[in-house]
Amino acid sequence: MKFKSILTVCFLAITMLSFTTIKESTSYKCMIQMINYTGENAYVVISLINPEGEYEKTLYVQGDDDEWYHDISEWWKFYGKKRSSIDAITGETIAGGARTISVLEIEDSKIDAGYSIRFETAVEDQEYYTKDVEFLLTSESVKSKKEGTGFIRYVRLMPN
Amino acid sequence: MTISIWRYSHLTLAVSSFVFILLASITGIILAFQPISEKLEPYKVSNFENITVAETISNLKEKYPEVIDVQVDASHFVLASVITNDGESLNGYINPRTVAFIGDKIEVSKFFKWVTNFHRSLFLKGIGRFFVGLCSFLLLLIAVSGTVLILKRQGGLKKFFSKVVNENFSQYWHVVLGRLSLIPIIIITITGVYLSAEKFDLLPKSSVNHTVDFESLSETPKQDIQDFPIFKNTKLSEVKTIEFPFSEAVEDYFTLSLKDKEVVVNQFTGETLSEIKTPLVTVFSNLSLNLHTGKGSILWSVILAIATANILFFIYSGFAMTLKRRKSKLKNKYKKDNSKYVILVGSENGNTLPFANQLQQQLIKAGESVYIAELNNYDIYSKAEHIIVLTSTYGEGEAPTNANVFLERLKTVKQVQEISYSVVGFGSLAYPDFCKFAFDVDAAMQLPFKQELPIFTINDKSVTSFEEWVTLWNKNRKLPISISKEKLAVKPRLNNTFTVVDKTKAEDHADSTFLIKLKPNTKRFTSGDLLAIYPKNDYRERLYSIGKVNGKVQLSVKLHENGLGSGFLSNLNKGDLFKARIIKNTAFHFPKKASKVILIANGTGIAPFLGMLDQNTKNIETHLYYGLRQNASFNLYRDVIKENYKSKKFTKLKLAFSREAPKNYVQDLLKQDALFVAETLKNNGVIMLCGSLAMQNDVLAVLDVITTENLSLPLSAFIEKNQIKTDCY
Repeated sequence: MKFKSILTVCFLAITMLSFTTIKESTSYKCMIQMINYTGENAYVVISLINPEGEYEKTLYVQGDDDEWYHDISEWWKFYGKKRSSIDAITGETIAGGARTISVLEIEDSKIDAGYSIRFETAVEDQEYYTKDVEFLLTSESVKSKKEGTGFIRYVRLMPN
Repeated sequence: MTISIWRYSHLTLAVSSFVFILLASITGIILAFQPISEKLEPYKVSNFENITVAETISNLKEKYPEVIDVQVDASHFVLASVITNDGESLNGYINPRTVAFIGDKIEVSKFFKWVTNFHRSLFLKGIGRFFVGLCSFLLLLIAVSGTVLILKRQGGLKKFFSKVVNENFSQYWHVVLGRLSLIPIIIITITGVYLSAEKFDLLPKSSVNHTVDFESLSETPKQDIQDFPIFKNTKLSEVKTIEFPFSEAVEDYFTLSLKDKEVVVNQFTGETLSEIKTPLVTVFSNLSLNLHTGKGSILWSVILAIATANILFFIYSGFAMTLKRRKSKLKNKYKKDNSKYVILVGSENGNTLPFANQLQQQLIKAGESVYIAELNNYDIYSKAEHIIVLTSTYGEGEAPTNANVFLERLKTVKQVQEISYSVVGFGSLAYPDFCKFAFDVDAAMQLPFKQELPIFTINDKSVTSFEEWVTLWNKNRKLPISISKEKLAVKPRLNNTFTVVDKTKAEDHADSTFLIKLKPNTKRFTSGDLLAIYPKNDYRERLYSIGKVNGKVQLSVKLHENGLGSGFLSNLNKGDLFKARIIKNTAFHFPKKASKVILIANGTGIAPFLGMLDQNTKNIETHLYYGLRQNASFNLYRDVIKENYKSKKFTKLKLAFSREAPKNYVQDLLKQDALFVAETLKNNGVIMLCGSLAMQNDVLAVLDVITTENLSLPLSAFIEKNQIKTDCY
């Protein structure tokens, strides 16, 4: 009996612990739909922007050939200095007209706290859009669809 | 005639692109190991081919609250991106049946990424990609021109894969490996060019855009995912990617990318909303990528690695050959119009040049004026008295590149004074058209000039043979030339070992002749081939005609006083070992098919015939004419020949004894049998001669009379038809 109750307590404790750690951040499904442009595939960098408008964290990079990274110049100023490992959050470049779904991890403390999410896009020998899509992270906006201004037609976000 | 153009293109292309090709090859070899290392991971499940899309999708849906997508790679590893019940995002390999995660996504290592980058663009981005693509194309052209050169060399498509004659290391392996890696290299280059062309928008862009009629989308009739016909009927092995619906709204759908099409499927009803065939360009792109990188197949990756390593060897051996060709340039001390002697050289690979240079130097040393030139540069030589032609033959009896217009020039360039000439042909008995071009030149020069010495042929750069010719020529010209053998000597490749198994003693024979039987470490020879021995282990070579008896090499040797070769062989004892080599002599093989064969020999010339009789298992009608000094001379062979007669290996033997009554020679026997000989030749029979040159001359003269009188044809008509085969010394 005693043993069983200890086990239950332990189990509860573990679930509570894991529950709290997990709740610190949430996975979001993010779909990027591109416009029908011609040319090379696009590099898309998704970043978390702090209330001061500065880069806080790289959330995802569509494009795994780092030889081109410094052409995404605004982001490169932030990322290029430290070059933290982004292997786990890199995907392939996106072709015109195509769409991609990726999973973003965003800390819960950043929602409704003045932080924004930024999608910047660049295509070789074409435009570079620093703010193709950018919007404030709120509990409403994380389950919405936002139109793009450059190579992106729209972005859809959905919490898990 | 166009060899030079092809060779020139082959070389020019190689020179202009070899740096890039070198870099791309080295990195390419390294990259071949990437798919190998990936494929070795244990992520493929058994009976993968039987798994349906429905099975995997429904299992995934059941186990995970969110599924983003599923990818199947070339190795049939299944990669899934999901969000677990704990809200954790997972991206890795799954077992497509149990959908349990079995491994993390293989991240291409930094090293391979770096090498890939270098391989693709040399870190020069767009410009680099262009250069690499261009060089890939150039390599393709090199492969094509190389193929043409091999075709020319081997003498046609049918002989493309026949044996290559080993003249020297670089050349031999350049050709042999070139043939073997031709197809992989062509595939590598074509796919490489294709992949580059794709990068530069040279191919029609294709994008798959589905048009879905969102107005008519319906959630009913709802079906379970595992019952969707499209999922049930599609095997996972056909899939490239499956994209799951973004949300549970009916506007979001499954996107199923298969090898040949992309299908959009309603997530509730399983209805196909749109279907687009994969454009051909994309199919080719995927094919190119897989063929170029070896993705998904260890075997192909290994083949690619080997073929690419061969490219490195081609760069090395190609340059080695080119440098060798360049090294042997011709230099002159005397002007062409001041020289008494003119040496004309024809050489494909520069092998003949050292002989020509040596002759020139020694003539100058003897105080003579000499001018040396390539055959193609044949010109008017106003003071010339004698022209020496030293030439090799290329391919199937064609002229070497630097002699291919000589026969034309000979007709147009007219010399004023009277000139005599001698032709020396260089070649290899291993080719059927031994010294053919030299014979053509000799025949063509008989018209305007006076032949001083009959054509002399040299097998396999033999210094000894060249020395023989120089001696003959000296005698005629009353010159004291002696060539420096050390400069010409090429260390022979002695690839065969021979063990003495039986030997008679020269002292026991009336004419100091003995038979020696050797056990070789090869079976690839036949009667009529030559055994080259090097008694002093230097350039000095002695050739013996081989008789193949019971798989052994049998020689008949006459011991000469101070004889280099005969002395060496005579001193051997049973059980002794020595190194030597066998030279193929296709021109003197027993005919495979013939109505009748007449074998004519004197002295030790019987050796190859003893083997041919032994090998005559088809019992082709064979007649033997054999000349010896005396009856006792025949004792050495009597028993075997009797044995051969009993087993019907030959029909008739006629002996001539030159020192015993009635004192006659083989040619006398032939005269007696003139009608029989004529009949044999008329019916496409073959006559083979082996023995002394004196006998050869006498016999050929008698045969000429016989054919002219009985068949109204000169003997040359039969020589041309290969009905007369000789091997005399």
